[in-house]
Amino acid sequence: MLWKDRYKLGVPRIDEQHKELFRRVGLFLQVLRSAVCWDEKLQQLNEMLEFMKGYVVEHFHDEEEYQLSINYPGYEIHKQIHSDMVNYVQDVSRQFEQSDDNEELMQQFGGRLLAWLINHVAAEDQRIADYVRKKGMSGNDG
Amino acid sequence: MMDNIYRVFVDATQKVFNLMLNISEISDHPAENFKSDDVIDVAVSIDGDLYGKVIYRFPVSTSLNMVNIMSGMEFQTVDSFVTSAISEIANIISGNVLTALSDRDMQCNILPPVLYKSDNNHEENLEYELQTSLCINATIGEICLDISLNRVS
Repeated sequence: MLWKDRYKLGVPRIDEQHKELFRRVGLFLQVLRSAVCWDEKLQQLNEMLEFMKGYVVEHFHDEEEYQLSINYPGYEIHKQIHSDMVNYVQDVSRQFEQSDDNEELMQQFGGRLLAWLINHVAAEDQRIADYVRKKGMSGNDG
Repeated sequence: MMDNIYRVFVDATQKVFNLMLNISEISDHPAENFKSDDVIDVAVSIDGDLYGKVIYRFPVSTSLNMVNIMSGMEFQTVDSFVTSAISEIANIISGNVLTALSDRDMQCNILPPVLYKSDNNHEENLEYELQTSLCINATIGEICLDISLNRVS
């Protein structure tokens, strides 16, 4: 289980999306690292990757909308971080397809995704929660 | 200046260990000639008011412990997944260093992390104004940093 309660922002809608994102990434990593031969797990990995590409965009959009609604001052920087990650995921997906499903490429992606996601939610997103607390707002505001 | 740089890197590493690995207790000490064959070396180049590079030296056991904590899975050998996750951690620590330097009115950028192989014939002979090595110890093991930077004159 990748998700930890200490990652919570106190914004119910965003916290639920984060939990779901961690759950999906956790499932993706379990399949990626399973002992099953590469060809057998390939279809499942591709389906998971496609789902995550869509879900990540949807979540980032919702989180950015929330930031706007509370006048979060780090909005532009945060949006750029999201945009860079979406571009990275799309690049990897394209390279993966062009490389005829190269396993090493997907293992590299999995490792970076794991560290990136934990840092993003545990550090970058917590700044939103810090701002909400500082302003005396509740997680249901906005 | 060198003391400040040293402290900035230690503080950035502590922050990342705390947030990402839930490890709050670390200790640090200067290191001379850290040598180990069993390490993942990750280089991050820095450009701007300070320029040069930092080599993060992650012993294999430390690397596996870090990935095990993050993933909740059991990694026993180093492969592309592990080196990629560890490289991203070096990238994240460096990003925190940049933020701290910016607070001290030094604007810098970093290049993406790369796995590093030392080139004794060339790079090791370059001179740097700010050069230090340090090791950081935590419950997951040790990591060491070779910092080589110049200031823009």
